[in-house]
Amino acid sequence: MTWTDEDLVARSRGGDLESFNQLILRWERPIYAFAYRVIGREEDARDVCQDTFLRAFRSLPGFRGQAKFSSWLYQIAMNLCRDWMRRQRRAPTVQMAEGADPAELAAEGGPVESIEDLVARREISAVVEEAMALLPEEQRTAIVLKEYHGMTFQEIATLQGCPLSTVKTRLYQGLTVLRRLLEKQGRRPQLVKRI
Amino acid sequence: MTERFQCGDTAALVSYLYEECASADQEAISTHVSLCVACAAELAALQSARVHLAAWTPPEAELGFRVVGARDPGSRTGTSPGVEPMGERPGVSPGVSPGVSPGVSLSSGSWWRQPLPAWAQAAAACLLFAAGLWLGVVRGSTPGATSSEPMSDIAVSGGEATAAVGTASTGTASTDIASASTTSASATSTGEASTLAPAALRAELEALERRFGAALTELRAETAHAISAPSGISETQMLARVRALLEESEQRQQRELALRTAQVVRDFDSQRQVDLAQIQRNLGQIDGLTGAEVREQRQMLNYLMRVSEQR
Repeated sequence: MTWTDEDLVARSRGGDLESFNQLILRWERPIYAFAYRVIGREEDARDVCQDTFLRAFRSLPGFRGQAKFSSWLYQIAMNLCRDWMRRQRRAPTVQMAEGADPAELAAEGGPVESIEDLVARREISAVVEEAMALLPEEQRTAIVLKEYHGMTFQEIATLQGCPLSTVKTRLYQGLTVLRRLLEKQGRRPQLVKRI
Repeated sequence: MTERFQCGDTAALVSYLYEECASADQEAISTHVSLCVACAAELAALQSARVHLAAWTPPEAELGFRVVGARDPGSRTGTSPGVEPMGERPGVSPGVSPGVSPGVSLSSGSWWRQPLPAWAQAAAACLLFAAGLWLGVVRGSTPGATSSEPMSDIAVSGGEATAAVGTASTGTASTDIASASTTSASATSTGEASTLAPAALRAELEALERRFGAALTELRAETAHAISAPSGISETQMLARVRALLEESEQRQQRELALRTAQVVRDFDSQRQVDLAQIQRNLGQIDGLTGAEVREQRQMLNYLMRVSEQR
């Protein structure tokens, strides 16, 4: 039987550690991906992810279920990311993908994707990552929450503590700057080229 | 939002882009975009940026976090590896109010890759130092050693130390070596060595070599004597001790093997989960990319249709 987040939260609050471990298993990848895309460093993203669950576990008795459990987790992760960035006091550095080794890539990619496609995808991924790192933190977070975590404008506004219109503006500005940066780096948007 | 869309209303355009506006607004914007080339281009550019964003995947990380209780018998706590005590995390301003559950820690799947905590490293260093110290004392106190206070010899440095060695030990080869070194050192320090003729230097070196040879021979004889001397332990006792040591070693190896096997099984499971998640994500990406492409094509066709109709 698959438990919902709410069920697992209730059981965890009753002292069932395994239920909380189920929640971790369910949410650790999205939280890690979110942290990585916001702060841009693998090890630190892992630490933020770990801290998020640690903090969530400690604060579980205070969680009243007014928001979704996932929203609450993202809120904690976002606060931790902000703290991390405050501590760094500098623009996040981006860990570039290591040199593309065709054999390694082939082993990782499996038979679905050709080596050329995989290398190209890695290349695009690195370019996008670089461009995203140049965006202001609010715009980057808004884009990450919208694009990769499928949140609504309202949810993002609640998480970021700003009006709905601000979220839309951040998204528009972020995407526009991103497009310009990608164009500058030789990644001319395909649709514009076609038109 | 009104049903009439104005050029430059970026908020509405973003809502349309993410399909998060009312159906009436959706239609109004769609109609406008079909007629306004600038807005169509703007929308297409935003969409292409989104398509690029789909290619960005974070690197795979070994996560597999688990909450383990301190009194949980199956938990890895205290000095066992892989457990990260809560108190050691760097201070982070709370995003939520902490309701502390003492003795709870979060462990990760791959404990051998994590660095040891500072206290464990310090303890290991102390242990190593103590072992080294003990070895030094034991060696120094064995019969035939040249000094009864080896540590005092080590602790003192400089010319006085070598002098102390030379006077404390009597009639052994090492005494000779020490005194020779002392002579050589003092000669060097006073600058006499520089004034010696090459022949004299060679003679001195040969003398030194002979002394070394004699010392070495004496040392070998002493070692052979020590080995052949009866130890006072009977053969049966020795055998029993060796057997006990062997059994202990075997048990240790078995424990280690069991631990490693459990770890491998756990890692295999977590890797399987990672792979499954990766496959799912890849499928989602392919799905998303295909959807975006289809949408682009459809819009392009619509646009071309409209342009051809207008002409």
